[in-house]
Amino acid sequence: MNKRAGIGFYVFLIIFVFLVMFPFIWVFLTSIKPVGEIFSSFNWFTKNPTLDSYVAAFTQRPLLRYMLNSFVVSIVTTLLSVAFASFAAYALTRLPIKGKGLILGIVLASSMFPQVAILSPMFNIVTDLGLRNSYLGLVIPYITISLPLSIWILATFFQKIPYELEESAKLDGASPFQTFRKIIFPLAAPGVFTTGILVFIAAWNEYLFALTINSNDSWRTVPVGISMYTSEFSIPWGDISAATVIVTIPIVILVLIFQRRIVSGLTSGSVKE
Amino acid sequence: MKKRRFQLNEKQLGYAFVLPSLLLVFVVILWPVAQSFWNSMFDYRLNDPTRSEKMMDANIDLETYVDNYFFIESQLDALADTAVGDQDKQTIHEIEDGIEKHHSELISDKQVKEKVDKVDKLLMRYKPVNNTDLKYQKVDNDFAADYRKALSSYEQDLVAIAESSGDKDAQADFQQTADLLGSTNEAILKSNFIGFDNYKKYFKDKRMWQSLGNTTFFTVISVFFELVLGLLVALLINRTFKGRGLIRASVLIPWAVPTAVAAMMWGFLYDGQSGIVAHYLDVLKIIPGSSWLLSTGDGGLFSIILADVWKTTPYMALLILAGLQTIPGSLYEASDVDGANKFQQFFNITLPLLKSSILVALLFRTLDAFRVFDLIYVLTGGGPANSTESISVYAYKTMFAQQNFGEGSTLSVIVFLCVALISFIYVKLIGSELFAGRTK
Repeated sequence: MNKRAGIGFYVFLIIFVFLVMFPFIWVFLTSIKPVGEIFSSFNWFTKNPTLDSYVAAFTQRPLLRYMLNSFVVSIVTTLLSVAFASFAAYALTRLPIKGKGLILGIVLASSMFPQVAILSPMFNIVTDLGLRNSYLGLVIPYITISLPLSIWILATFFQKIPYELEESAKLDGASPFQTFRKIIFPLAAPGVFTTGILVFIAAWNEYLFALTINSNDSWRTVPVGISMYTSEFSIPWGDISAATVIVTIPIVILVLIFQRRIVSGLTSGSVKE
Repeated sequence: MKKRRFQLNEKQLGYAFVLPSLLLVFVVILWPVAQSFWNSMFDYRLNDPTRSEKMMDANIDLETYVDNYFFIESQLDALADTAVGDQDKQTIHEIEDGIEKHHSELISDKQVKEKVDKVDKLLMRYKPVNNTDLKYQKVDNDFAADYRKALSSYEQDLVAIAESSGDKDAQADFQQTADLLGSTNEAILKSNFIGFDNYKKYFKDKRMWQSLGNTTFFTVISVFFELVLGLLVALLINRTFKGRGLIRASVLIPWAVPTAVAAMMWGFLYDGQSGIVAHYLDVLKIIPGSSWLLSTGDGGLFSIILADVWKTTPYMALLILAGLQTIPGSLYEASDVDGANKFQQFFNITLPLLKSSILVALLFRTLDAFRVFDLIYVLTGGGPANSTESISVYAYKTMFAQQNFGEGSTLSVIVFLCVALISFIYVKLIGSELFAGRTK
């Protein structure tokens, strides 16, 4: 559709973006205020900007360690689940196997399971394997979230690749596995990458398993670490807002670079084309 | 020439490709869910040594039992010497005989005897028994009940002797042995399989119904607002204009930020003393006072819903926008020619064609909202006084704050059943469209 955008429309857009971004703006403005000012006034801008809160955010708690933990766990989860899922999704969309509907049904159903229903057995499994407070101890439960998600999104991407290419490869004498490796996989690479980004974000944001399984401070991930900044006696809003800004920056960069891909990945699972 | 290598045909390759993922799904998802069901049928508590294992049958904690048995013999012999009256001596001999009878019945089984000897050896070297297979021995339910009954009556006998005795030292000796028999009694564990008792308990539990009510209220209200606002935003930005990228990015950022981080941010904005949102809403007289948001149940629910709507409306708008863009513009042009107005176009073209995208978006959002945990746990912790608790938060607290895995699993199964019911209803509504185009 080609409706023309008038002034009113842009005013609406500006208000919309402002409302959506307001919490970030306010938290950023708070993070550069001197601590005394945070508790005493509602002024938007401070006259004495300072980085004290940022220094405190890094020194009061091991924020860099949290970020490293989150990064390692999310990357490993993403690589593992996308690898497994791309094989499965390819077989489900392209190869003549029986029970496709059933398998996809199981995958979709398991992506809808509430995590809390898996929590106590998963806690026992991880404890029995001696994996509490380790990276692997989080990767295993994260597979429960990321694998069904990856299979579901990848199945849509594989579906879009034209059959003709596969058939001509077959005619040229390529084995099914060669077809997958040399024709399908390179063509699906953008879709695989997009799935990877979505899985990475999902793993980065996970809270419940991280909270229960890695209870030792040096193994905590970003979401759990940030939620533990509050102390019993006072809430250090300065530190919290600085820490929030720090952990939000990587996400903002990721979103700015990959926004098109993220949108296509998010919508591919729900819209028929 | 190279030899022709072993090749899988398409079908075999297909199964080989699907199998690893299917196995993983079974091991890390379906099996744990089944375990949760199983756990919910037990009185299973990690912080209570007599109930920290799931036991279908009665069991004996051999570590405690063997250790106690070693002392019981010698103490009873010593007591037989200190006892004054013939009747007391008689009682003590009876106790000795009774315990000996039960004990020999227990070790009459060869396997049990072996285990008892092994445990004995470990204990002699002051080593703990870490192996659960070795530590616990399954026994006949009747035998366990019988032994427990005998032990508790012996304990009472000894207490009676201790009370009647005038000598303070003798009194202490009798009491000590009585306590030892009591602890031996506790080493014989009853089965903690309780069937559906946990479910019966929660069926009458006010806090469960309240948390279920909160969860439903939260889900319905926030998904409703997200849908309406998301539809509105999608309709408004479904056109070509400058700065689409900016809009898309600003819409994606709230979605991409971890919920726990967003909850901390809103916690600051809602704070009764220094929270800007609380302050403005108070100044505008929208809320009764700046501390209302986080210190009352109604305020807490309002805060949670507002934060959730902020975080997920963008996601909803994106899904609906993608649906809108699949509607061919020619339909609108044709209806323009026929003289339809904007409202008619919306209700007769846009909505019917959007139906399936909206339903799918609603399905994902409703299920997501129903299992809400992070937002509530971080923002209000379920408080004040459990008034904003969701069922997932309640389940988590039961499992990990009270260490009660049996009851906690029951609650998580309830969440699971609700989610299954919701998906069933949606899938009925959406039908097979969800799978269309994915399988052939």
